[in-house]
Amino acid sequence: MTNMEEILNNKYFQLLSFLITSARGCIDEPPLYGPLRLLDAASRVIDMMEKEKMVDEKISNIKNLILQAIDILMVDENEFIKIVDEISKELGKYIAN
Amino acid sequence: MIENNISQSSFLLELIKGRRAIRNFQKKEISLDDMKKILEAGIWAPSGSNLQSWEFILIKDPQTILKIKLVSPGLFSNPDSLVVLCVNKSKAERGGKLGIEMAVMDLAMAAQNMMLMAYSLGIGSCPIASFNKIAIKQILNIPNNVDIILILTFGYPQTWPKAPPRKPIKEVVFYDKYGRNIE
Repeated sequence: MTNMEEILNNKYFQLLSFLITSARGCIDEPPLYGPLRLLDAASRVIDMMEKEKMVDEKISNIKNLILQAIDILMVDENEFIKIVDEISKELGKYIAN
Repeated sequence: MIENNISQSSFLLELIKGRRAIRNFQKKEISLDDMKKILEAGIWAPSGSNLQSWEFILIKDPQTILKIKLVSPGLFSNPDSLVVLCVNKSKAERGGKLGIEMAVMDLAMAAQNMMLMAYSLGIGSCPIASFNKIAIKQILNIPNNVDIILILTFGYPQTWPKAPPRKPIKEVVFYDKYGRNIE
């Protein structure tokens, strides 16, 4: 890591910045923004895993569910919670196998 | 003064109803001229006591946009331009105890003007409130007496999303006294 531009474009640094600023944001923001930020971070982690060829179809499906949840939050809170439950279920199934 | 004109009022309502929060943008540059039109719409918003204590920072430099994105969890799109909407507290305080509160309301009206002007130019926008003020002040060298209130993102949309449902008028509008529905 030599120059600032590389650092700013580095996925780990971007996740680090996101986590720190989300932590501050969650103090004042609506309570559901906490899960929203965590899901956003999870999606970013999956993006990083993709680059390391660690993502199979099931993880990819989890990412799609995460993106659906993020999209629906502002429109339908109950549906958001349902999708987050679905994500947890899919994760559990993945780990169990 | 503008004359009462049905086609103008219909067009205005069409603009108001058509504007959406856009979070997916094309990689297409917005001209500086168009951004100036958008900003001009902003400065013609109403302002309490005509104090105009707002200050706007237009950002088009991709590196600066990237830096702001890094400290703005609510900014996950790839906009061409940003406008950072600020209140200059030294100016707002001239409005007395209500000065800051009024300034924030003025800024909200300026933001709506800008988003409507953008929409009329085929440009999408999204208001962002989830950002780290402390970090952005460092990045943009904003002095202590200036507060960041809102960021607007601008870009040509990938798609215009459907409108989310609105609460019906009878739920949110009362007639002559609180709780009495309008027919």
